Amino acid sequence: MAFATLLTDEQVKRTHEASLEILENVGLLVRNEKARSIFFKHGAKVDPESHIVKLPRAVTEKYIKMLQPTFTFRGRDPKFDKTIPKDSPVIVTGSSAPDIIDPLTGQERRARSDDIARIAHLINELPAYDMFSISTLADDAPPGQFTLARLYPATKYCVKPIRNTTKDMDDIQAIMKLLYAVAGGKEAYFERPFVTHHYCPVVSPLTMDQLSTEAIIYFSELGLPVYPTIVPNAGLTSPMSMAGTLAQGNAEFLAAAVLMQMVREGTQTIYASLPTVADMRSGAYASGGIECGMLHMAFAQLARFYNVPCGGYVGLTNSKINDAQMGYETGMSVVEGILGGMDMFNMGGLLDALKAFNFAKAVIDDEIAQMLKRVKRGIAFSEEELAVDVIAKVKPGGSFLMEPHTVKRMKNEALLTKLADRDARPIWEKKGSLDIEAHAKLKVDEILSHNTQSLLSDEQEARVRAEFKDLIPGMLEILQPQ
Amino acid sequence: MSEELRKKMAQSIIDGDVDTAVALAKESIATGMEPMDAISNGFVAGVNEVGDAFGRGEMFLPELVMAGEAMKAAVATLDPELRKRGTERRKLGKVVIATVEGDIHEIGKTLVTIMMSSSGFEVFDLGVDCPAEKIIGKALEINADIIAMSALLTTTMIRQKEVIDELEKEGLRGKFKVMVGGAPITRDWVKYIGADGYSEDAVGAVVVAKQLVGAVD
Repeated sequence: MAFATLLTDEQVKRTHEASLEILENVGLLVRNEKARSIFFKHGAKVDPESHIVKLPRAVTEKYIKMLQPTFTFRGRDPKFDKTIPKDSPVIVTGSSAPDIIDPLTGQERRARSDDIARIAHLINELPAYDMFSISTLADDAPPGQFTLARLYPATKYCVKPIRNTTKDMDDIQAIMKLLYAVAGGKEAYFERPFVTHHYCPVVSPLTMDQLSTEAIIYFSELGLPVYPTIVPNAGLTSPMSMAGTLAQGNAEFLAAAVLMQMVREGTQTIYASLPTVADMRSGAYASGGIECGMLHMAFAQLARFYNVPCGGYVGLTNSKINDAQMGYETGMSVVEGILGGMDMFNMGGLLDALKAFNFAKAVIDDEIAQMLKRVKRGIAFSEEELAVDVIAKVKPGGSFLMEPHTVKRMKNEALLTKLADRDARPIWEKKGSLDIEAHAKLKVDEILSHNTQSLLSDEQEARVRAEFKDLIPGMLEILQPQ
Repeated sequence: MSEELRKKMAQSIIDGDVDTAVALAKESIATGMEPMDAISNGFVAGVNEVGDAFGRGEMFLPELVMAGEAMKAAVATLDPELRKRGTERRKLGKVVIATVEGDIHEIGKTLVTIMMSSSGFEVFDLGVDCPAEKIIGKALEINADIIAMSALLTTTMIRQKEVIDELEKEGLRGKFKVMVGGAPITRDWVKYIGADGYSEDAVGAVVVAKQLVGAVD
């Protein structure tokens, strides 16, 4: 399909040029010493006092040429492997929300590791999700298990690719032990690395931090899947103009991508972003704003200019509940994204500007994601699809209802949504006058009460338990009203 | 004459015009106006008007922050004169503010610093990526009323808890009020870590800080 664009080819080129100018003349503040020395060794100008790293044009251009055209996500079960852009769109949950809307009380509370077990199972079962990016934090994590308490229940109930982030290097060492234990050794894990690591090493404007930058370098060195997301917020951390935000954001992506190539030539990456325009009436974080999708469309054009897969956080909402605002903010931005050519959508399950996970929202987003996949499938076109002969046969005033041409396509041509209500009003009333959230909650209950056994074998479980004596239980339990 | 000067002072704050605010502060000193008169009846009138207009959605965040900067500059200009007369403006309290260790997100913390300073707090901004020892050390050194911590990442917000735990451990928790803020901070988090207050934005942070030091307007 031909993608919708907001920029002309000349504007894409000019944005690229502007980004090169920014990298060459303004540079980045690079707080991580290792990153500074890598940049220096590969031709960047590093000021030892200010820690500003400037990338001469020729250096940036040299490493842009090394960018890879694909990125592969692997699951524990190979049937869930995805490579973008070939398998686009890849649908992912939104991640790391501190809170969850309790499915029983409807109240916001801190999320725990047992919530992650339930969410992991839900995402493993919902058909449109291709990857589980661990949706919440685990408030019950014992000391030293900040990420373990998230990743362990995720691996226990989800065999799709998992996306994970970490706090620091100790945290990384801990989760690698877990992953090796699950895989049956380091070598086995490297053959099928089923976790994609993710960080935001560049803090806008133009600053590379310590820990995330360290992690990106670490995983790039090892050749394990990792990618960065660029998060400019126009008016506060990037220019108020969308064009300026694109120029700066693109420079920030290039800095991270170039660093990864300097570490290891041919490292796969994704042009991922979470671009927003701040609501300057109050400074509010407007992740549900229509501009998020617009900026994604433009970033997708830049990604195609570099021939690198793209995507990021989209379909976000500022709404606190599953209301019409949630629906239109989610729906409009992801449609911008799919028409604009995004390959990866980090979009599922979060309300309130990424702050709270909601089970029903995750199910609603699954249906929205199926719609996106339907759009991407496009309009099949051939002489048979054009059906001039069928039209001639049916004649003016006839019906297509019982035509073989119809029967052959009736289950596939349109997406047969499971949640959206299409009943006549009396039938809808008879079924209880359910709204979309009520439909979604029924689906949540159905999934959480079926096939909820652990997806780790006894051997895997034993290896994990041998590695970590005091690990959280990570069991999927059905919440019962007190 | 003085009345006209006070009006101009208020207007300089509304315009967020640092240079004019400073020039008017100097002019008031030259003409012998009481510095407290200049602040209370001149510049503060502008601050109040900006605050109201912001609350009504008529003024936007950049205008609010520029007004805060102008206010800060005007007060700094008048400060030596205040000291000379022994009529130093009563500070609402001392605040140590920082973005926690591992986190280099700055802008929210800086906005809070500006708004608190312009509202009469003495604010010590320790910058970003700030370890617990440094925050607590500074708070002890200046005998702070409030420790304020910012975190944007869900992986670094845990550091806010570590600072509070450290205060508890050292038997210092009762000495300071603790405020937290940042995009992932929610009521539940505040309750969980045992902070004394939080706010979703810089304007609210000033209100909370005032409540914490018992200076409710």
